[in-house]
Amino acid sequence: MTIKTWLAAAAFSAAFIGAAHAQQTIKIGVSGPYTGGSAAMGVSMRDGVKLATQEINKAGGVLGKPIQLIERDDEAKNELGVQIAQELINKEQVVATVGFINTGVSLAAQRFYQEAEIPVMNNVSTGTLVTQQFKPPENKANYIFRNSANDTIQSAMVAEAVKKAGYTKVAIIADSTNYGQLGRADLEKALAERGLKPVATEKFNIGDTDMTAQALRAKDAGADVVLTYAIGPELAQTVNAVVKLGWKVPVMGSWTLSMASFIDAAGANGEGVMMPQTFIQLPSTPKRKSFIEAYQAAYKVDRIPSPVSAAQGYDSMYLLAAAINQAKSTDGRKVREALENLTTKVEGVVTTYDKPFSATDHEAITANIPVLGIVKGGRVIPANPADLEGDGALRVKPKV
Amino acid sequence: MQNFFQILVSGISVGMIYGVIAFGYQLTFATSKTLNFGQGEALTLGALVGLTCVNFLIGLHLGNLAAYLIALPFVFAFGLLQGAVVERLGVRQAMKTKSEAGWIMATIALGIIFKNMAENIWGKDPLKFPSPLSENPLTIAGVNVRPMEIAIVLGALAMMLAVETFNRRSIYGKAVVATSNDRDAAGLMGINTPLVITFSYALSSLAAALAGVLIAPITLTGANMGAALGLKAFAVAIIGGLSSGFGVVAGGLILGITESMTGFYFDTGYKDVPGLILLLLVLSLKPAGLFGKTAIKKV
Repeated sequence: MTIKTWLAAAAFSAAFIGAAHAQQTIKIGVSGPYTGGSAAMGVSMRDGVKLATQEINKAGGVLGKPIQLIERDDEAKNELGVQIAQELINKEQVVATVGFINTGVSLAAQRFYQEAEIPVMNNVSTGTLVTQQFKPPENKANYIFRNSANDTIQSAMVAEAVKKAGYTKVAIIADSTNYGQLGRADLEKALAERGLKPVATEKFNIGDTDMTAQALRAKDAGADVVLTYAIGPELAQTVNAVVKLGWKVPVMGSWTLSMASFIDAAGANGEGVMMPQTFIQLPSTPKRKSFIEAYQAAYKVDRIPSPVSAAQGYDSMYLLAAAINQAKSTDGRKVREALENLTTKVEGVVTTYDKPFSATDHEAITANIPVLGIVKGGRVIPANPADLEGDGALRVKPKV
Repeated sequence: MQNFFQILVSGISVGMIYGVIAFGYQLTFATSKTLNFGQGEALTLGALVGLTCVNFLIGLHLGNLAAYLIALPFVFAFGLLQGAVVERLGVRQAMKTKSEAGWIMATIALGIIFKNMAENIWGKDPLKFPSPLSENPLTIAGVNVRPMEIAIVLGALAMMLAVETFNRRSIYGKAVVATSNDRDAAGLMGINTPLVITFSYALSSLAAALAGVLIAPITLTGANMGAALGLKAFAVAIIGGLSSGFGVVAGGLILGITESMTGFYFDTGYKDVPGLILLLLVLSLKPAGLFGKTAIKKV
């Protein structure tokens, strides 16, 4: 046999086995970067999803069948995300997909799910555009959902913190990806609403190792606070450059400042940096306590590499499972309808989801849910401990 | 003015790294007219091997600096070995069959294999490299410099001087120079040119490994750290000229300094543009590079 016929035979039999399998398990795609600079988020997300799946399967699965995860590494690359989306839809025939860490990958890949009418639960991507890309009335129905705090929420929180602290000269340093640049735009808008205009807006590329020029420009412009929109390794280079210049300035930014790769690489230079967090690794509710303990036991770590991603990954699976159970079907349209009108309360790690979505609102997380975190002693803790005490511990989406 | 010097210093330290990697390209090109396109991965492996050695030695209660210095010879030895392997597996066969592109594909393929190996051994997350020197900046004449940035410049210069001295003073070095000048004639004079070429590959990977351990303490160490640097250094080698050891260092400095200067005085979003324009200009006006000798290829 030539290689070609052999490959065709292999592909055919794989498709055949896949089809046979689909009847016995509920296939859910998990797409995220498990390698590269975003890996800490991707791996934590995947591990959170796996943890939830194990628990659900142990309790009998959904519709009486176990959930089978199809994990794919998109390496944070848009084109790879697109390829994976097509594979998961056409070859694996997944019921739904959870994941997407990078806004760029979300925007590029979810188009295929929308067209195939398969729901997507974005559990980490934060770009404001993500859930708006296919919103009605331009589209008949929107198959894109999210259970992470979007950039509008995050930038508003950061801008509010800036205003509260009385800073007036703001410098923004962001990376050149979709994430960094869309986030920068959101941040500028949120600042403008509070009467603030950045004195410097700087940019760098993924993989850059020296941010002296950016930091020096910000310093030269007389900034009294530096805001960031980027991911771990480059964020570390940014604060390292700020400290190198002997510049004592507070640094705040999007939630990625909680990434282990930032905290480890920045070391002492990263202390005191603040960012919005939907979840902080603290047992402030019984559910959080059991989640943290289960995660630590399953993956043999003390500090979760990216606690926010792990918690949101975990919750995304429970939301989806609840919707499939309610729909009593794996049909994409019915699952979407069930998500938009979820009748069961889902007790998650981040919050308790009580009707988290509607036909027009596909964001499970609202502005009241995240709290400000601060880096102290190599960990993220609440900037104001009172935020997560008593009534504040469990923050739920307000009823409309 | 102070800002100018601050930017100049950071441009020099970035440029020196480019220069060292590009120096590696130049070493193999001189003797064999081939390049190791896996140079970025050689840098990655050097840094990761260094990281393992340093962590092991720190585990033996050595100080960071002592651990770093003791680890260096191991990193160098590993670099030499890795380069020799690349030459034996990837380049020798292609040169024997006078294949025009075989070595390109082979070195790229080996680079990918090395990267995947690194991912499997050291994992996929970027790792922190313990800094051998203090991470607190020094202030020299109003300019803030991290001690490691000074070490980068000194380490790079020392390595290149050592190689140049070796080439000029020792009998083995003369064999390298002779092979560079005319491989066939050198072969007829009794020089074992295949061995010289293997040696030049070994040295080239050593240069990359050194660049890796020099830059690791100020960035993060990981399987992907070399890719972007290897590519930048390639541009540097073209700008400076592949036939001149001095040229690639100058090319590195030119690229590093233009990047930083553009970032500061123009716009940080356009940092990489002037370097690439320079690359295009050099390619169209002086294809042998700014400091390269134009060679006539007889067919």
